[in-house]
Amino acid sequence: MRIVQVRCPSCNTPIMSKQKDRFFHCDKCNVLHVRDGGTRNVDYEIAEFSDSAPLGERLYVPFWRLYCSFVIRSKSVEGGYAFRLASWIKGSDDGGSLFIYVPAADFDTMTFKRLAIDFTVRSPNYRTRLNFGGVRRMPARVSSEEASELADFVVVTMEAEKPGVLQRLDYSLTVLGSKIVYLPFVSSPSGLVPAL
Amino acid sequence: MSEISVGLNCPACGGAISVVEGDDTLICPYCDSTLFIEGERGVSTIAFKNILTRDGAVAETMQWWSRGWKARDLSRTGAVSEVYPIYLPFWRSSTRVAGWICGYTERRYTDDKGRTHVQRVPKEEMVLNDYLFSEIATDPGDLGITSLRNFSGETGFADFDMIPTFEATTGRDGAVERSKSDAISRARRSVSVPHITLERLHVFPRKLSMIYYPIWVVRYSYRNRMYMSTVDGVTGEVLSGRAPGDPLFQSLAITAGTSVGGLLAAAGIILSTLTVSEIPLVALMIGAGVLYLTYRFFRHGSEIIEGDFKHKPASGGEAMRGLGETARLIRGAYR
Amino acid sequence: MASIKCPKCAAPVVFDAGTKFVKCTYCDSQIFIDRSGAGFYYAAPFLIDEANAIGTFRRWAAGPTKAKNLDRLAEIASVTKHYFPVYMFKRTVGRKEQVMLEPARSTTLPGLHSLKVPATDLKVFDAAFDTEGAEVIQPDIEMLSYLDALPGEPVEQALVFFPIWRLSYVFAQKCYDVVIDASAGEVFAAGFPTRGSAAYVVVAVVGFAAFTLEGILALESMTAAASLMALTVVGVFTASYAVARRL
Repeated sequence: MRIVQVRCPSCNTPIMSKQKDRFFHCDKCNVLHVRDGGTRNVDYEIAEFSDSAPLGERLYVPFWRLYCSFVIRSKSVEGGYAFRLASWIKGSDDGGSLFIYVPAADFDTMTFKRLAIDFTVRSPNYRTRLNFGGVRRMPARVSSEEASELADFVVVTMEAEKPGVLQRLDYSLTVLGSKIVYLPFVSSPSGLVPAL
Repeated sequence: MSEISVGLNCPACGGAISVVEGDDTLICPYCDSTLFIEGERGVSTIAFKNILTRDGAVAETMQWWSRGWKARDLSRTGAVSEVYPIYLPFWRSSTRVAGWICGYTERRYTDDKGRTHVQRVPKEEMVLNDYLFSEIATDPGDLGITSLRNFSGETGFADFDMIPTFEATTGRDGAVERSKSDAISRARRSVSVPHITLERLHVFPRKLSMIYYPIWVVRYSYRNRMYMSTVDGVTGEVLSGRAPGDPLFQSLAITAGTSVGGLLAAAGIILSTLTVSEIPLVALMIGAGVLYLTYRFFRHGSEIIEGDFKHKPASGGEAMRGLGETARLIRGAYR
Repeated sequence: MASIKCPKCAAPVVFDAGTKFVKCTYCDSQIFIDRSGAGFYYAAPFLIDEANAIGTFRRWAAGPTKAKNLDRLAEIASVTKHYFPVYMFKRTVGRKEQVMLEPARSTTLPGLHSLKVPATDLKVFDAAFDTEGAEVIQPDIEMLSYLDALPGEPVEQALVFFPIWRLSYVFAQKCYDVVIDASAGEVFAAGFPTRGSAAYVVVAVVGFAAFTLEGILALESMTAAASLMALTVVGVFTASYAVARRL
C-alpha cells in the first residue's frame, strides 16, 4: 500500500478538495483526470446556468455524454399499432447517430432512469463555460465502461417505451466518443431541477 | 517484525492521517490535499452490535425446542451445556441490474367447438433494481449459516475484543462474481416472462463490504448426544440448528402418508377406467408425491435439521417443487 | 498476540490476525500492517472441549444413515487433540484478490485432504499461544516450495494451525476414525458402519400398496375395505414405530 498526493498530470499542481470524487479537477489548468489502473485525462465540458434558473442551491451533476451510432438490423413488435420509428435518431429509419446521456453520479434507480431518458430524448442545448465558478459538483462514480453498458440500457428503454411490445431487436450500438458534461441543477424541496 | 509496519502520514504536509479500509481516495484533514491509495486497500468493514444476552439466547433456543417435530421430551430432557457469542464474517455486495426482458406467455383456451387454441401474449418487462447479496466469508463448518437474513442494526466495534471473531478466509472477487450471477437470476425471477425472445441485462457491482455479525452458538445435550443451535445476536431469531426427532412423529407421518397416498392412487386407478382425461394420472402422481414426502421424514426425521447445513436431506419444500415440475412435464407429454 | 513497533514513537503495538490497520495506543497514529513480504503463523483456540466433542460424535452416530445404535454401541478407543497445519496464501492475480489453500502435511485422516481453513478465530501463533496440551502437527511440506509457483503478487501468506479432535471408535470388531473440527463442530468421517433403508422402504411400500388395494376394494364392499383399512393403519403404525425407534 502506498499513499500518494494527487497532482494534476499536466501542470503538476497538487489537487485540493473538500470531497471525495472519482474525477480529480485541477483548478489551475482545468484538467480533469481519473486514476483507475493509471492516470487518464477526461474530456469534459461545463454548461452555463440559464438566466431563468430557479432560486436554490446550485450544483453541477456529471453526465457521460456518449456519441453513438445505432443501427437496427431487424426487429419485431407485437400487440400494438404500427410502430412509429424513433424520432430522436438523426439519420434514416433504421438508425443513425445520437447522443446518449448517462448520469455519472450516484443516483437511485428511478432518478437515474428519469435523468437518462429526459436528457437523451431532448438533447439539451447550452452555452459552455470554462470553470465551475465556485459551484459545488456532485462526485462521479460511474466509469466510462459502465456508461457504455448503461447506454445500451437507455437505447432499449427508449425503443421499448414506444407503443407496441418489443419482441426482438437486432441492433448494434457503437460508442464513437465519450465526454463528461457537467449539467447545471438547482436543488429544491421536490428534488433536483435542471437549470438549463 | 518492525519492517511490516507502515506509518500513515500525508505525503504533502506530514500530518497523521487515517485511512478507511476500502476507500481509494482520502482528503488530508490538515492541508486538504487529495490523496490516492495505490495497491492493497482492504475493504470497508462494519460490525453489528450484539444486543442479545446469554439468557436471551438460551430462552430462544428453548422456545425453538418446542416448535416443529422435535422430540417431545426435549424441553424436559435437553440441557444447555455451552452458550457463547461469535462474530462471523460475511461479504455483502450491492449489485445494480439494468435491462429488459421481452418475450411472451402462452394462454390456452378452448373454443365452443371444443378445439384448444394457444394464444401468445407478448410481454415486455424492464429490470432496474439494486440487489443485496450476502455470503459467509469463511467455511461455514457445521454452523448451518451461509448468508445473512438481516442487514440492519446498530453498528460498532465495541464488542470486538470480547467476542471471538472468526476470520475471513475467502477472496473478495469470488464473492463479487457470485453476487453478479445472483443478481441476474433474481432479476429474471422478478419478471414473469416464460418464453424469452430478447434479453439485455447489464450488471454493475456497486459496493462491497465486510460485515461482522454477532451470532450465539448454543450447544445442548439430549441423551448423551450434543446438538446445537445458532441464534441471531441482533434479532434474537434462531438461525439454524440440529435437534433430536421423535419416532412417534416419524411413524405417524408414514401412516398418514401411506393411507392418504394409497387412497389417492386407488382413486386414480378407479377413475382411469371411467374417463379419459389427465385427472387419474394427476391423482396417482399426487398420491406418490405424498408418499415420497412422508417417507423422507420417516427415514430422516430422527434428527431435525434447520438451516443451511451441508449434508441435509432435501427439504419438504424442495420435494414439493420437484413434484410440481414432474406433474407439469407429464401433463405436457399427455397433451 | 503479536506486536510491532510503532514507526512513529517506537512503542509496542499489539495486533491480531486479519487486522490490516492498527492504532498505536501511545501516540494514536494509524499503522498499516504490510504482510506481503512476511510469513505468518496462525492458530485458533479450541471452542469445543473433550466432553462436547464426544457428545457431538454421539449425535452424529445417531444419524439416520448410521448403523443401528451406533451412538450407544460404538466403543470409543481414543480421543486426542491436535493442531493440523494448512497453508493459506492471499494474492492479487491480475486485479483480483484470490485466496489459495495448499496442503502443509500429508495425511490419511478423514476430512483433512479437502483443503479448507474452517471457520475459526485466528490468532497469531507464537511462543505465548496456549495450545492447551494439543499436539501440534508440524508441516512436512515447505511454504517456499509453493511461493514460486503461485500466480500473482503476494498480499499475505500464512501457516494456519486449526484445532481438531481425533476420535477412534470400535464397532463390530472394526476400528473407525472421525475428525471433529473443534471450532465450528463439523464431523468428518471417511467410512462408517451404515444402516440400510430396506426396513423403511418395506414399511412404506407395503403400506402404500395395501391402502391402494383396499381403496379399489371399497368399490365392491365398503365395510370390508373399511375394516381392512383400520387393521392396516394399526399395522403400519406399529411397524413404522418399531423401525423408527430402531428396535
